[in-house]
Amino acid sequence: MKRRLIIPFTYLCLLLCALLFISPIGLLLAGSLKPDDLVLVESGSWRALWPASASLDNYRDVFSRVDFTHYLLNSLFINGMILGLGLLLNSIAGYAFARLSWRGRGLLFNLVLAVMIIPLEAIAVPLFYIVSLLGWRDTYLVQILPFIANAFSIYLFYTYFIGMPRELEEAAHIDGAGVVRTYFTIILPNAKPVFASVAILTFLTQWGAFLWPLLVTSGESVRPLPLAIATFHGLPPLRWGDLFAFGVMMVLPILSLFLLFQRLFVRGVAATGIKG
Amino acid sequence: MPEEGRGPAAFLLSAPALVGLLLFVLLPFLLAVALSLTNLRLGSPLPLEWVGLEQYRRILNDPSFLHALINNLLFVLTVVPVQTVLALAMAMLLNQRLGAIAWFRVLFFMPVVFPLSLVAVVWVLIFAPGPDGPMNALLELISFGAWTPRDFLHDEQLALPAIMLTSIWQGTGFQMVVILAGLQAISAELYEAATIDGAGCWQRFWFVTLPQLRNTLIFVVLVTTILAFRLFDQVQIMTQGGPHDATTTIMFEAVQSAFARQQIGSGAAMTVVMFLVVLLLSLLQRRIASQEREVS
Amino acid sequence: MGAKLRYLIIGLVLLLVGCGEQAGEQTSAAAVIEVWAHAGQAAERQVLERQAARFNASQKAIRVRLTFIPEQSYNAQIQAAAVAGDLPDALEFDGPFLFNYVWQGHLQSLDGLLSEETRQELLPSIVSQGLYLGHFFGVGTFDSGLGLYARRSVLEAAGVRIPADPEDAWSIDEFSGALESLASRDPDGMVLDLKLNYSGEWFTYAFSPLLQSAGGDLIDRVSYQTANGVLNGPHAVAAMRKLQNWFVHGYVDPNVDDAAFINGRVALSWAGHWEYPRYAAAFGDDLALLPLPDLGRGSRTGQGSWVWGITRHSGNQQAAARFLEFLLEPEEVLAMAAANGAVPATRPAIERSPLYGASGALRLFSRQLQGGFSVPRPKTPAYPVITSAFQQAIADIRNEGDIQAALDKAAAAIEQDIHDNKGYPLPD
Repeated sequence: MKRRLIIPFTYLCLLLCALLFISPIGLLLAGSLKPDDLVLVESGSWRALWPASASLDNYRDVFSRVDFTHYLLNSLFINGMILGLGLLLNSIAGYAFARLSWRGRGLLFNLVLAVMIIPLEAIAVPLFYIVSLLGWRDTYLVQILPFIANAFSIYLFYTYFIGMPRELEEAAHIDGAGVVRTYFTIILPNAKPVFASVAILTFLTQWGAFLWPLLVTSGESVRPLPLAIATFHGLPPLRWGDLFAFGVMMVLPILSLFLLFQRLFVRGVAATGIKG
Repeated sequence: MPEEGRGPAAFLLSAPALVGLLLFVLLPFLLAVALSLTNLRLGSPLPLEWVGLEQYRRILNDPSFLHALINNLLFVLTVVPVQTVLALAMAMLLNQRLGAIAWFRVLFFMPVVFPLSLVAVVWVLIFAPGPDGPMNALLELISFGAWTPRDFLHDEQLALPAIMLTSIWQGTGFQMVVILAGLQAISAELYEAATIDGAGCWQRFWFVTLPQLRNTLIFVVLVTTILAFRLFDQVQIMTQGGPHDATTTIMFEAVQSAFARQQIGSGAAMTVVMFLVVLLLSLLQRRIASQEREVS
Repeated sequence: MGAKLRYLIIGLVLLLVGCGEQAGEQTSAAAVIEVWAHAGQAAERQVLERQAARFNASQKAIRVRLTFIPEQSYNAQIQAAAVAGDLPDALEFDGPFLFNYVWQGHLQSLDGLLSEETRQELLPSIVSQGLYLGHFFGVGTFDSGLGLYARRSVLEAAGVRIPADPEDAWSIDEFSGALESLASRDPDGMVLDLKLNYSGEWFTYAFSPLLQSAGGDLIDRVSYQTANGVLNGPHAVAAMRKLQNWFVHGYVDPNVDDAAFINGRVALSWAGHWEYPRYAAAFGDDLALLPLPDLGRGSRTGQGSWVWGITRHSGNQQAAARFLEFLLEPEEVLAMAAANGAVPATRPAIERSPLYGASGALRLFSRQLQGGFSVPRPKTPAYPVITSAFQQAIADIRNEGDIQAALDKAAAAIEQDIHDNKGYPLPD
């Protein structure tokens, strides 16, 4: 009898939470479909979440005001490269730290842990001097290379690999496989969840990058999406509708990535988080 | 035990990532430490001079920077516990075999995928002043008209809480997923044993769930703390550190100093101070964690 | 699986190497000059794009390649490019930053580059803005205007006098009275738009004239070595108290949507020339343009806008100068002025301008510039710090903080900066 009360109560709590978490997103979505001047005016009532006369005008405006496709492709390319190379290099490093013994391992791993707490903003200026000296300004390279190696990713891979059963590798060993082959044939196929979670986390931090590209690029040719949104926010008259339409389109790639891989992602986080 | 006898190969495997970290994180950081001891100004034709600890003396006497330190601490002390408890509660709600539960998980996680700059812009609208602002309208509704509209982002008392709320909204989903994973790893047998021993709901929570989640919670708290110290985007977009430094943060002050005022030296000093504070906290946290491990 | 991955990796590495090299482009016979401009309003951008195209089509020797830089943190981006030795041949920048850029050694004097005829035609305010240490470093194709836009019918209904010339501007008490009587007829009491939705330079541009009208200033303009007693002296404090009172009384609309004036929520909008097209479209003949209030020493207003300069590192200074000359031709000046509503920078253009000529709707702006009512922002390399400190002070004052403390803090920051730079010794 008690049980019968608990279930509706749980659903009530869930629904309430969901409403709180989803309504700002609803505001964004609805606003992107409304005429610019109605976004603010209607935001104080239930109509904030309901575009009475929905139209795609704002989306059309975005395309006419900036070369959205171009920025999107830049962002996709930059993030794709960071993701691809980052997954490979960081996972191999995580593997070496977790499963192989070698001199200097402990020391270097502590170094990785220490580096983990240095935020980009803290090193932006000196890093900027370094890449300027190298003559890398205004390229894709300068937006990719510094972000491939990532201490947090290495750490996540490390915690996942250290929890994998040892028997798999031993079998490969007996077959005479080297470290690299063991990694590609045995470890990789069994580590999809951690790859999914690192991929999504990397994408999450990089997709919105603003400060760094602002400093190291000048032309539109290599600039990513977040710099284009500045054109909308910084320029009067402020058109909320356009801004929101841009926002929706900016978040779509990452949202679909998450929806596609969310099961794997949760499993990956599970395996890394509980090790602490 | 790790495998043996693969020294050079193993080092080579980790080398590319380590070189990256060395070149693009550690080296710039050491350079920042060095710059913090100089009077470097962006673009200045005057010669560079070593000024010793002058920059540190200055920032520690700068009321704005002290405000920033306090705000960062307030932010961490509020957001980390609130977000963790909230995430734990939501994770427990989700850790049940009910229909449509997977959908709720996706919904709760959704804010996490929104870039902070976009989140900040949306919440600027939510905190719009006047009765038309969504937050004002909501508070008026649930207080049956007792709430008088405030300009959240320009109100000394409300600006920092407003930024906290924004951050909690965006960040809770991530913690929730991690904690949910931790919950699902707790074996059902432990609960059954506890129930047989006559433990009620609360007792099971205190004596089974929490101890089993300890490592997960430590991980979550550590990561959230580090992220909280890096607070920047929301401040930049929503309040620019105001009103009266009520929302300024170390990162915001450092970026202001380095880029708006071109004073690289003092900006670098600020980031070094931040690094030291975070380092201290993570050492402390690790200490506590390992002690608890020994106790249990 | 292994093989597929290996190909993927090789592909990624190749792509990465490839993208580093795509910067180089095939060179033709024409000299290519890089030009950076700020990504302003859409109309402004389009005009400049068309101007570059027209210039490129008009001759074969020089090709202009235009890059737009977002206005947000424009100075930081210029500084970043300068450190990397990446500045273009010609670039646009906000007028008062000129002195800092000259001091840093980035700008080439235009003295030998621009023709004498071109310089003769420039407005005095444009010449004074570009002149530093006896040399001419930057030239604008337009100047700015700052005033109060109002709806004539609303002011008349409230019985408020409508001044047309800076000579008979409202006294500050008259202005306060006007706000009060307008507020009493307004449903929410918010009757003044100060463009609080803007950020950065606007606050110095728009509100430092209040200081000057009261007898204060941002810095001592004789020595340019101290702000103490000027920025935080009694005159400046009194001026900022007036500003703060407008907030305290609730007269100021936060203007989050930048539509306070066109939606009719406020009667007065403290704004620049760039709002004229939008406001005129909304209210037509009912739109009135008024000078800023007089705090004792006469009505004062802002001046200066974006200007063009040629960098010292450019290998094509002559070619870059030809592009600037082109932008200063009357047709081009008028084309830009028509797009952004700004005051045309040359006399021949002003004479032909429907807005700024003798009976034009915006003649107040040209009158202010030519009649000595506009004050250029301080000519010192310390300007970036001055404006950053003053913006901070305005933010504190707006949020009803202690005025003396806010101005003291700003003055101290400026002192400190001048001291740190050894008084900004002049370059040789």
